[in-house]
Amino acid sequence: MTATSTIPTATTRAPRPALATYAALDLRRQLRDRVGMFFIVALPSFMYVVFGLGSDERVGSGNVAMYVMTSMATYAAVTATTTVAGGATIEQTMGWGRQLALTPLRPLALVGIKAGVAMTVAAVAVGLVFAIGAITGASGSAGDWVMSGLVVWLGSAMFAVYGLAICLVFRGPNTAGIASGLIVVMAFLGNLFTPMDGLMLDIGRLTPMYGFAALAHYPQTDGWLPNGEHDPLWLPVANVLVWTVIFCLMALWGVRRSRART
Amino acid sequence: MTDTHAPAIRTSGLRKTFRAPDGGTVVAVDGVDLVVEPGEIVAFLGPNGAGKTTTVDMLLGLTSPDAGTVEVFGGPPRRAVTQGRVSAVMQTGGLLPDFTVEETVRAIAATHGRSDRVATVIERAGLAEIADRRVQACSGGEQQRLKFALALVPDPDLLVLDEPTAGMDVATRQHFWDTMRADAALGRTIVFATHYLAEADAFAERTVLIAGGRIVADGPTADVRAAFGGRSVSFRPPDDVVRPDGLDPAWLARVEQALAPLGVSGIEVSSASLESAFIALTGDTPGAAPEIAPDAATAAELTGATR
Repeated sequence: MTATSTIPTATTRAPRPALATYAALDLRRQLRDRVGMFFIVALPSFMYVVFGLGSDERVGSGNVAMYVMTSMATYAAVTATTTVAGGATIEQTMGWGRQLALTPLRPLALVGIKAGVAMTVAAVAVGLVFAIGAITGASGSAGDWVMSGLVVWLGSAMFAVYGLAICLVFRGPNTAGIASGLIVVMAFLGNLFTPMDGLMLDIGRLTPMYGFAALAHYPQTDGWLPNGEHDPLWLPVANVLVWTVIFCLMALWGVRRSRART
Repeated sequence: MTDTHAPAIRTSGLRKTFRAPDGGTVVAVDGVDLVVEPGEIVAFLGPNGAGKTTTVDMLLGLTSPDAGTVEVFGGPPRRAVTQGRVSAVMQTGGLLPDFTVEETVRAIAATHGRSDRVATVIERAGLAEIADRRVQACSGGEQQRLKFALALVPDPDLLVLDEPTAGMDVATRQHFWDTMRADAALGRTIVFATHYLAEADAFAERTVLIAGGRIVADGPTADVRAAFGGRSVSFRPPDDVVRPDGLDPAWLARVEQALAPLGVSGIEVSSASLESAFIALTGDTPGAAPEIAPDAATAAELTGATR
């Protein structure tokens, strides 16, 4: 410890926050989290290999491998945004938020940084699952690949709101577990893991991940399901819109409730 | 912009209440008037629940008062924070366990736009050796030093420290206060809340005692001690009468006898000085008793009241 510091009396210093530097550090921290990245990247890739590898039967404009690849990329992207958004909420309540409150960083800038980190991690996850698919026999028209990839990536933003909402509503040390546990349930009901039929499919159509997953598959299948039924485009769109609004309302309620406590 | 002649801190009629779990209200801070001039070193003393942390939160703009005003360098606290003129080591401020020490400093430096300060504050907080260590692997004292480094990032004019040496061992604590003295000499204003009365006694020029959300004493540390602890004369006993369990009673009796003709009565042995004032004023025993004068057994002083 050496006394090299001076105490300036000038009041004109107001350096701008280096948001990109903060975002880069935060992103690296996220990508370094082995357990988190296992569930975000390794598990979906593994499930693609188990369920989709070498299935060359035709589905729409592509093959079964591509269909499974899209499903698993959807699951990966959802896990990514939920994990990052949920983690951000926990950071805030664990005291790092107080540390940041003593800096010039505005809350809105922080939300922007976290959204950027979440979408980057989601892009990494989707990119990796798609890359594994591409080198192991998933095939389909190039335009449909790009469309599916974009839908999966952008649509996962809706689950960032979900992660936020869950962690604000169920506060406590095991909220992250609750959030990812519910994702597995929602992924089954969303027709992502195994093709559903009959009553379960009717129930599934009302659950949060169904619409998103159906839209992700739409470029390839034009709405045709594995059991031969057909979903008109408005159904998944309505599902996504309604659930996005519900997640937003839950998050808002959670924010209000956590503020009321102080 | 900010008035350069404004006090570092000015509060008047500061009041904050919380809703208790049972539906009632708890008054945490109840009419605090305080002015701290630039360059002062002020100790904020009080038992748990006295309102210290709530007051600190209001000084930093983390909580808004229910009534009264608070100004830091003549403006609202949030503005002083944004300008980097005030920063703090908070008792409840958290760190991210999976950042390394250096990454934590770089992240906070980025939010201030002061990435040029990273090396300096790591050096000043003595963190160079553990810069690559994950925060979760750091001891409580090391985390405390990291928080201190974060507080130094904006090179603030006012440093607010809430229990800054919690978790530090004796040598680190000594080192910490040496650093603080150097800073104060350069003109930094320092306000600290502590349970370690000996630290307030040794370091602060001015002591503010707070209890039940109110200021109960405020003045030069020596005056606060004297006004409430009585005038006292201290001297060090010879080494051979100091035992692990106190002073040799036979020797003590002889001292009493020898002093009686001078009008001295009621000789008592004590190891803390401000502590007695603290207890008298707050009706509470300090939380960290073992930390006060850790070498009490060997440095016991004789205090003869001569009121």
